[in-house]
Amino acid sequence: MSEKNLDQINSYLSFKLGEETFAANVSKVLNILEMTEITKVPRAPEYMKGVINLRGSVLPVVDTRIKFGMPATEYTSNTCILVMEVEVDGEQVQVGGLVDAVQAVLEIEKEDILPPPSIGSKYRSEFISGMAKIDDRFIMLLNMDRVFSSDEITDLRERTESSKLQQEVSMEEKKEKVKT
Amino acid sequence: MTSMESFQSRFVEEATDNINDLENALLLLEEDPGNKELVERVFRAMHSLKGGGAMFGFDTLSDFTHHMESVYDLVREDKLQVTKDLLNVTLDSVDLMKKLLINDENGPDEASGEYRALVSRIEGFLKGAEVNAGQGPASAGTTGIAEPEKQGVSTYFIHFVPDKDIMKNGTNPLYLIDELSTLGKTQVIANTCNVPDIKEFDTSKCYISWEIFLSTSEDVNAISDVFMFVEDDCMLDIHKLSASDLLNDDRFTREIEGYRLIESEIGINSIKDFVDSLKEEDQARQSQSSKKKVTNGRDNAISSIRVSSDKIDQLMNLVSELVITQASLSLYTENSDNSELQPIAESVQKLTRQLRDNAFSISLIPLESMMTRFQRLVRDLSDELGKDIRFSAKGTETELDKTIIESLTDPLLHIFRNAIDHGIEPPEERIKKGKPGSGEIVLKAFYSGANVVIQVSDDGAGIDPARIREKAVEKQLITPDAVLNSKELLNLLFLPGFSTAKNVTDVSGRGVGMDVVKRKISSIRGEVDIESSPGEGTVITIKLPLTLSIIDGLLVRIGDSQYVIPLSVVDKIFAVEHETLAGAYNNLVVLDGEQVPFYYLREEFGLAGDPPATEEIVVVEYENVRIGLATDSVVGEYQAVLKPLGKFYKEQEIISGATILGDGSIALVLDTNKIINQFSNNNKIKEELS
Repeated sequence: MSEKNLDQINSYLSFKLGEETFAANVSKVLNILEMTEITKVPRAPEYMKGVINLRGSVLPVVDTRIKFGMPATEYTSNTCILVMEVEVDGEQVQVGGLVDAVQAVLEIEKEDILPPPSIGSKYRSEFISGMAKIDDRFIMLLNMDRVFSSDEITDLRERTESSKLQQEVSMEEKKEKVKT
Repeated sequence: MTSMESFQSRFVEEATDNINDLENALLLLEEDPGNKELVERVFRAMHSLKGGGAMFGFDTLSDFTHHMESVYDLVREDKLQVTKDLLNVTLDSVDLMKKLLINDENGPDEASGEYRALVSRIEGFLKGAEVNAGQGPASAGTTGIAEPEKQGVSTYFIHFVPDKDIMKNGTNPLYLIDELSTLGKTQVIANTCNVPDIKEFDTSKCYISWEIFLSTSEDVNAISDVFMFVEDDCMLDIHKLSASDLLNDDRFTREIEGYRLIESEIGINSIKDFVDSLKEEDQARQSQSSKKKVTNGRDNAISSIRVSSDKIDQLMNLVSELVITQASLSLYTENSDNSELQPIAESVQKLTRQLRDNAFSISLIPLESMMTRFQRLVRDLSDELGKDIRFSAKGTETELDKTIIESLTDPLLHIFRNAIDHGIEPPEERIKKGKPGSGEIVLKAFYSGANVVIQVSDDGAGIDPARIREKAVEKQLITPDAVLNSKELLNLLFLPGFSTAKNVTDVSGRGVGMDVVKRKISSIRGEVDIESSPGEGTVITIKLPLTLSIIDGLLVRIGDSQYVIPLSVVDKIFAVEHETLAGAYNNLVVLDGEQVPFYYLREEFGLAGDPPATEEIVVVEYENVRIGLATDSVVGEYQAVLKPLGKFYKEQEIISGATILGDGSIALVLDTNKIINQFSNNNKIKEELS
């Protein structure tokens, strides 16, 4: 279903995590909230920041920076919570993601999207659905379903080695495909 | 969804109701086979299933039901009698109908073995009825089988005491009795207590007297005609017992059977008394059923509507929202000086409360809805195991949240299976122990405060504490020298992997037993308790909250956050100096002159900040052990609307949900049992508990 949406809507919301710019398909983003008080849930993983009251329902909030292996988010006046609907185990679930700043909605045509970087990327390729070049800068387009449905993201850094291997393997496969 | 599909799904819903009704009626019919009204109900349910099935493309179901319907058409016309056999086939058919309904495409079809076997069994009944009908009433009479269509059948009691010398004139009393049985159905009891010792026995004399029960449409004259030629040589008493066919009444035949066993004379008086008591019972039942009819009629007048459960869930969500919004309105009003706002806020509060109670009552359904399944289980299983078990239910009008009822069915079925398989002994064994041959399982439900209590008791063998101990030692759950009282021993049954059944049977005793029951019940915030006295039976008590979505809680503060502890587990609250807690040895604190183990929640939750000088300990009960939870302060009582934390926090079992406070902030609801379980994993308290 997400693939279909991605095909149909070419709008992406870009946001910053640290110095880097990412973008998510707008079909996934329901809402952008200002930073509010987050109720911490005891004994939860570090990246699970807590829960907030979203118009009467309880919304879990994830520190996206920790998920991506960066230091925890420092709250500034630009810090926002992106309310997203993602698919976890075949179920649509709402989740909030902390981001350092929301930037703009970009129209990116399908043919302008490049395949994810293969070697040397800091991020696991399964989370990246593609790259786009905007004003001479590369923006990583995220596959939000994958990002939020994965439990083991906190150890992303430790996994980079294995993911590199995976990427190499997938590179080989691609080469094979090109040849045939 | 196309319109046909939506019609189909509506039909499935309706048909499910019909099938349930059918099953229910059949079970009632078993107890009261002569009840015409029930036969009608069975027939009607089948008829609408057949019609609807054909209309909405469930052809297999429709065809199949048609066979069943033909049989019950005969029953309706009195050409066929309701027998245990017939009911067995019908109930099996109901099971097949359920399957046919779930999936008409991939489920069993005409070709499947189950379908064909059942159809041939049904046809057997049809043929049987035809043969009967072909023979006609006259021939049926001579074979001694009561013909189905008999009018004005009465039951007579005939006491026949021939003179000892009756055989001298060539009369054989047995021929008389044979002749008597041509008039109708008979039950003959020979009384041999006058037969002398073999030494004094004279073979030419008749020492035997007879007591005969005859149900016939003939009158008294026809009966005395039989004895016309021996009138002078015997003592003959003919009494009309009842204007109905008592020999068709199970209770009556059972009673006679009893007399036959004790080999003594019945006597007209005792049997008359018994018949009278039967009549009274019937009358009571009739007035009861007519009362039922009256209430049914009233229900119809009120007319209920069918609402999808999604809509009810939505309503509940909205009401929950409203409760929260109202709480924040009250909070705001309290802090403002606006005097006009006060009464408005108050009436909003009042209305909200009424609306809430109303909405919750909508999602409550009576336990009655589950009873058919249990009755069926008891019936089928006791048949299979050769046991005689009666099931009765009390208080089935007790209502529970539908989500609770849904999750309650499996554990209860398990408890029933246990009672039938392990609890109730086979009839011979029961009689040996001096109990009535038929066992009894009773389900009792009642309200107790904000809880509903469901008790399942049986009068079976009970649970032998010594066997539990033996087993627990064998499974290394306890050490051989562990000192446990019988209550603690019974609680061992709830440990995973514990099953006391000697053999693994098809029914229960696969090693997954009471622990699953316990887990399921606690997942709906309920408690299970087991009591048993060996030889007398077992009582299993389940205590459940009325609703899952709102709980009465105690709001406490720790650091910046607030938490809700369910009020139902809170025992007492104590104020304690921080120093006392910080210096406590082994996490034990003396409260009310009693040592209480406690958990320092601030630390366990990893919260930053400095604790206040005086803290409050909330003492909660856990499996009869008191445990303290140290908090900064107790805020007060709070009615919490439970919101799930969702998938992302599924690992955090110690939190059962969250609730939104009047000021819009969130308080987490603590699951105290899980907290204690988790925190005590590598703790001394665990040892004390086990």
